Amino acid sequence: MTSISMGTSRSTAERLAAIRGGVQPKRHNARTIAALTRNPGCARRAVLDTAGVDKQRLAAYVDFPARFGQSGFAIARGNAFEAQVLASGAAELVKLLRERLGLPIPEVAYDDLATVTGREKETPEVRYARSRALLLRAAAGEDDAGTLFDHPLLALEVAGQRVYLEPDLIAFQHAGRFHVVEIKSFAVLDGQADPGKVSAAAIQSAVYVLAMRQMLAEAGHDPEIVAHDVVLVCPRDFSNSPTAVLVDVRKQLAVLRRQLGRMTRVEAMLAALPANLSFDLAPDADGVPTRAPEALVDALHAIDARYAPDCMSVCELAYFCRAEARGCTAALGTAAREELGGIERVETVLGLARGELVPAEEQEEAAALLRNAARLRAEVLAAAG
Amino acid sequence: MLVIAGKEWNSYAASVAESVDMVERRIDALRAEIRRTVAARDTARTRALRAELRAAEHAWEQAVTDLAEELGAEPAAESPAPAGSLAPAGSLAQVGSLAPAGSLVPVREQVHHALTLLCVPAAPRLIAEVHAAFFGPSAPSLAANRLTHLRRDEKRSFETAPYARPYHLCAALTAAHLAPARGLIAVSTWPLERRVVGPLSPRVDFLTAAVRIARRAGTMPDGSAPVSKLLWRFATNIPGATGSPGTLDRHDTVDPQTVIRAAEAERAVHAEADRAQRKAAADRARRHLDDVQQLFGSTLRTLQGKTA
Repeated sequence: MTSISMGTSRSTAERLAAIRGGVQPKRHNARTIAALTRNPGCARRAVLDTAGVDKQRLAAYVDFPARFGQSGFAIARGNAFEAQVLASGAAELVKLLRERLGLPIPEVAYDDLATVTGREKETPEVRYARSRALLLRAAAGEDDAGTLFDHPLLALEVAGQRVYLEPDLIAFQHAGRFHVVEIKSFAVLDGQADPGKVSAAAIQSAVYVLAMRQMLAEAGHDPEIVAHDVVLVCPRDFSNSPTAVLVDVRKQLAVLRRQLGRMTRVEAMLAALPANLSFDLAPDADGVPTRAPEALVDALHAIDARYAPDCMSVCELAYFCRAEARGCTAALGTAAREELGGIERVETVLGLARGELVPAEEQEEAAALLRNAARLRAEVLAAAG
Repeated sequence: MLVIAGKEWNSYAASVAESVDMVERRIDALRAEIRRTVAARDTARTRALRAELRAAEHAWEQAVTDLAEELGAEPAAESPAPAGSLAPAGSLAQVGSLAPAGSLVPVREQVHHALTLLCVPAAPRLIAEVHAAFFGPSAPSLAANRLTHLRRDEKRSFETAPYARPYHLCAALTAAHLAPARGLIAVSTWPLERRVVGPLSPRVDFLTAAVRIARRAGTMPDGSAPVSKLLWRFATNIPGATGSPGTLDRHDTVDPQTVIRAAEAERAVHAEADRAQRKAAADRARRHLDDVQQLFGSTLRTLQGKTA
């Protein structure tokens, strides 16, 4: 596995810095990296993310503020549940791992990697160094190398910048395999959980697995000792008591690798863009942006987007792209787009359905369907009226 | 290696204050600019700048909260509730709220009571739960997980007048770096071996606490609901402590003697290795740390060593 930063050449880095303007690149976390795997065909997102543009700020500036983000209550609930599971040397988790993974009784060593020097705010570099040292020692199979590693800090190269990631926990199994443990506060009801939330958790966990495997590989260990089964810990039914399920993240790992590899091929995308493209807000000495919002809108239009309804939950610019894609059949979702293969605009669809437009050759099939649908609708409405 | 530049820490609070200054300047400038754009009827730019202003105000709130935390002050009343205050049902935020004025016993004595019962370093949440179960409602600040300032006050008090009090509430030390362990409180009169925590110590201490609580619960006349619930929570996480599996969901069916036997059995597995690790770390602490550091951890030494 090679480092992902290799592909980003110096000129590309300069170009990306120009696109970003004179600000620090926005930091990625497991959430944002996981979000990259959605809608891989969107060039706008790829360019902005690779450049590290603060999309939230940009969206608000062009008057399409993102209305999503985790609610304060959800965060508090998540933290409370995590604290409960990890309390007293992760007593509740130890019990679950004994039941689920057959963790032997003596394997209870617990290392808190959030504390190194005892300062209230540890620097990521210090925490990463300590996490790396302990995890590599465990990988080398030394005695007393530890079992549970709480909040280790991992690093992943994304588009040339080092991103620190903090998994909830990495459990080291007796049999010489690492398992990533992800603690989430959504409930598993009668063995079932919200598939959307599970898949989001799986992608996030896959980010950790990938980071962990890279770290081991760089140190000359077999990356495969990090299991592709991650342990997802959630509240059981309507109670507060945790339950654990194993989630296979092989598919997510493959998607992530492809996606991260793709970020280095951003050169090709950049070549097609205007040379003076920039999302710099050009702040003056007091930090007041001087760039006109219209100029930024023009810059956004210069990069092709591929809006899908799915974007609303993962991308800060979704409202902007939705407004832009208004009238496109693609904006109605993948199902509608596939049904209406080859027809771009909603007006065309309506025209074909009403028989006002003559379908082109490749539109024949869809047009027949549409006319049928229109006829049925008219009949139903007539019967009802 | 793991040494932090001392300068960085000293200037940390200063840099927080500095960034608040910058944000304030930005907010002022943005307001002035918005007034100009409104007068010029530039609606697009007005909206854009308003969004910037909202973000800047949010950043200001965040910076001020951080500053308050750095200085160890109580968070401002209007700031959003801290993460710990939304405790799960049946936990201590509610117990605390029943007695808003808190108990008449000072917080540090409440903590001391609970820790003396437990006999091991413990997290504020557990301390509050134990106090609520055995000694009655605990102070709200105990329940709300805000004991950082307590440890800081104790340290200050110890530094001005060492050993002036019969006991101080202090830190548990990590065996690896002899730094204060995150979120654990201990009592200064305990031997160092008990206050140092190695990798196995959290589990050993958990089992010890279970034994102590079970013993105490066994002497209570008729198990009160909070006590049996607390004991049950410990018992469910110890193999063989809950008796037959069918009785898992009943709090009142946990037998203290069974819990003690099960906890002792598991503790025997880890005890030897844990004792050795703790002893080695405690010896190291006695050799290298002064009195204050032995109680409150060695961050200070590391920082001074670097600055000197």
